[in-house]
Amino acid sequence: MLFNSFGFFLFLPLVLAVHAALPTGRRWAWLLVASYVFYASFEPTNALYLAFVTLVIYLCGWGMGQTERRPVRIALLVAGLVIVLGLLVTFKFYDFLAGELERAGAVFLADDAVFNLPRLGVVTPVGFSFYAFSAASYLIDVYVGKLAPQRHGGHVALFTAFFPKILAGPIERATNFLPQLREGLRAHPEQIVAGAQLIVWGLFKKVVIADNLAPLVDRNFAIAAFATPIDLLISVYFFAFQIYCDFSGYTDIAIGVALLFGIRLMENFRRPYLSRGTGEFWGSRWHISLGHWFRDYLYFPLGGSRAGRIRQYANLMTVFVVSGLWHAGLGYGVGWTFLVWGALNGFYQWVGLATAPVRRRLAERLPRLAASTPVLVLQVLVTFHLIAIAWVFFRAASVGEAVLILQKIAAGLGQMPGLLPRYPFTAEHYLGFGLIAFLVFVEVLDERRSIWQRLAAAPVALRWGAYYAGIFALLLLGRWQAREFIYMQF
Amino acid sequence: MKSLFRKAFVFAAIGVLLYAAAYYASERLQYRTGDTNPFFKIETAEHDAYDWVILGASHAMPLDFSDFNAHMEEQTGLKILNLASPGTGPLYNRFVFEHFLTRRRTANLLYVLDSFAFYSPAWNEDRFADAKLLARTPFRPQIAWRMAGYSLREGVDPRAALNYATGFSKINNRDRFKPDLWEGEAQFDRVFRPSAFATAQRIEYLFPDGTADEAALERYLGEFAALLDLARRQGIEVAVVKMPVPSRFYSQLPDEATFDQRLSELPAMQQVLFRDFSLAMDEPGFYFDPDHLNRAGLTEFFDERLKGILMRK
Repeated sequence: MLFNSFGFFLFLPLVLAVHAALPTGRRWAWLLVASYVFYASFEPTNALYLAFVTLVIYLCGWGMGQTERRPVRIALLVAGLVIVLGLLVTFKFYDFLAGELERAGAVFLADDAVFNLPRLGVVTPVGFSFYAFSAASYLIDVYVGKLAPQRHGGHVALFTAFFPKILAGPIERATNFLPQLREGLRAHPEQIVAGAQLIVWGLFKKVVIADNLAPLVDRNFAIAAFATPIDLLISVYFFAFQIYCDFSGYTDIAIGVALLFGIRLMENFRRPYLSRGTGEFWGSRWHISLGHWFRDYLYFPLGGSRAGRIRQYANLMTVFVVSGLWHAGLGYGVGWTFLVWGALNGFYQWVGLATAPVRRRLAERLPRLAASTPVLVLQVLVTFHLIAIAWVFFRAASVGEAVLILQKIAAGLGQMPGLLPRYPFTAEHYLGFGLIAFLVFVEVLDERRSIWQRLAAAPVALRWGAYYAGIFALLLLGRWQAREFIYMQF
Repeated sequence: MKSLFRKAFVFAAIGVLLYAAAYYASERLQYRTGDTNPFFKIETAEHDAYDWVILGASHAMPLDFSDFNAHMEEQTGLKILNLASPGTGPLYNRFVFEHFLTRRRTANLLYVLDSFAFYSPAWNEDRFADAKLLARTPFRPQIAWRMAGYSLREGVDPRAALNYATGFSKINNRDRFKPDLWEGEAQFDRVFRPSAFATAQRIEYLFPDGTADEAALERYLGEFAALLDLARRQGIEVAVVKMPVPSRFYSQLPDEATFDQRLSELPAMQQVLFRDFSLAMDEPGFYFDPDHLNRAGLTEFFDERLKGILMRK
C-alpha cells in the first residue's frame, strides 16, 4: 500500500475517521493497529520483524532503567544494538558478501575447490533500514540518559511502527515522538491544513516530477555503453532531481499525514540543491534525520572535530563510508557502488575541510564579492554538480558503468555546444526540464521566505488557485501506476 | 473547526466542478484522437449493421491497419468492423462483443484466436483496468454498468469500473493529444529480420504465467465458449481462425498441441468454422515483427485464405 496507490487513498480516510471518533487517550492504540495493518500489507511476515525489533528495544530499555550498574547497562545497550543493527547488516549484506566470496574463491582457489555458501533467501522487510536506526537511537538515548526508559510498551511500539514514517523515514527520535503521544493526539486546524498542503506537494514531487523523469533516466542508464554523452548528461541531471523529488516527496507526504493525526515528525529536507557546499548539503539540508543520526551516534562518539585534525578527517570518512553502506540496497541493489559513493562524498568533506581556512580568509578580505549573487550562484552550481557526479555511483549498476558514464560525458563535453542544437529533444525532455525549472523556482522562493507563509498571506483566490493547480497537475500530469519510492525498496 | 469544515466543503465543491470540466474536455478530446479502441469504434461506426465483426488480440489488428479494412471491404463488397485490441483474451472480447450487440448488428463474427490469451488473467481480467484502454473508451453508462457486473461476476478488479466511471485514466492520459494508434501500425510496411532473441522475448512476454495453470485454461476456454454461445443465440455465424506466424515463433509456443486439443473438445467449437493457418506462411518477408503480418503478408493471406472465409465460399 504505497502512498501513491489507490489503496492508501481508501486507507487514510478510514484511519482518520476512526482516529477522530476515539477519545484522545485511546488514539495511540488505533494508530498502532493501523500501522501494523499498513506495514503487513506489503508482506505479512514483515510485521514479525517489526514486533521483534520493538520487543528487543523495549526490553533492553526497560532493563537499563532497572539498574544503575554501568556494566549491565552497557551489556544491555550492546545486546540491543547487536541484535537490531546485526539484523540490518545481515539482511543487507549477507547474500551479497556470500556471492563476492564465492567469486573470489573461484579466482584464487583451484577449480576443484570451488565452494558454495548458503544464502538467506529471505525478502528483506521494507523500511528496515529506517526503523532499525530509529530503534537504535532509542536504545542509545536511554543509555546516555537523554530519555527515560518507557514503561508504556504501546507507545514504544507506535514509535517504531508509525505508518507514515515506517517505509522511508524520517528517522524519528523517541525524544521528539514519545512526548507527543503522552500529550494526547489532537490535530489542530492549522496542522490539518499544513498536513494537506504537504501531502499534495509531496505527491506532486513524487508522481509528477520524479516519476516523469524516471523513464528517461532508466532507459539511458540501462544502455549506458550505447547512449550518447548528451543522453547521459541529461540523465544525470534528471536523476539528481528524480531522487530528490522521490525521497523528499515521500517525506513530505509522511510529515503531512502525521500532522493529520496531530504528530509532528522531524524535518528531513531543506532545499538541498541550494546548498553552497557539500558540507552544508549533508549537514543540514539532505536527509537531515539520517545526517543528524550519524552526527550524534557515530561522528561525536568517535571524537568528531575535537580529537585532532587527523582523527577529524578519519571520522568524516568513516561516517560517509558507513552512510554509503547504509544506502546500499535502497532502490538499486547492493553493490560496491555505494561504498564508492560514500567515499566520494567523504572525500568532498575532506576537500571542504582542507580548503575552509583559505575560503574563510578570502571571504574576510573580499566580503562584498563573497556575498555577491554571482558567487553564491557559482557555489550552488559547483555543489550541485559535485553531488550529481556522486549520484552517478548511486544509480549505476556497477562502479565500472559509473566510471564509463562519467568518462563519456567528460569526453563529449567539448563537442556538446555544437551537438545540442541538433539533439532530438522530445516532449519528454521538455516536460522534464519544465518541471525541474518549476521546482527550482519554488525552492528559490521558499529559500527567501517559506512558501507556506506566502500562501497563508495570499488572497483566498490565489491560495486556492495554487491548491487547485497542484491537485490538477497531479491528475493531468501524474504517473499513477504506483511506482515504488526509491528509498523504500530495501 | 466548524469554519474549517465549511471551507473544506466549498473547496471540495469547486474542485468537483473543475473535475467535471476536465472530464468533459477529456471526453471531447478523445473524439478527435480516437482510433483503435474497440468501444470508440462501436460508438463512431458508420453503419448500424455489419456483415462481419472481427474480434481478437493484436494478431487481428493488422486487418485494420492503414487502409486494409477498406481494401477488404472493396474486394468483398462486405461491411467489416474490426474490434480487436492488443493483448485481449476471450473475457475482454466477450465484454466488447456484448456492448457491440447493444449498439449495432452483425451477421458474422470472425474470432482471431491466440493460445497465449487463454492462460493468464494478464490478458483477461487485468485488461479491464488497463489505463491505455480506459483512456480511450468513450463514456457510456451501459459500459460502466457492464464493467461493474464483470467485477461482481467475473472477478475483474472493481477499481477498473471506478476508474472508468470517474474518467481518471482519460483525464490522466499523457498521450491525450496523440492519435490512438497501436505502435505496430507504424511498422506495417516494414520487413522484420528474424531474431531468435526477439522471438524468445516475445514468447516470454505473451506467457507471463506459463501454461501450467489448468484452471486458467479451463476458465478462459469457458469464456470463449460463452462468447460463441452468445453469437449463436443472436443468430450470428462464427468463424474462428489462427493467424499465420513464422515457424520459428510457432515452434516456441508452449503446449500449443494441448491447447488445440482442448479447443477442439469444446462443444461450442463443433458449430463454428475453424481454420488454423498458423504454419501457412513461413516466409520472413511477410512479417513486421516476430509474429505479426506486414502489408505484403496480409495481402497474401487475405487473397489466398481469408477472402474465401469472409465470402463464405
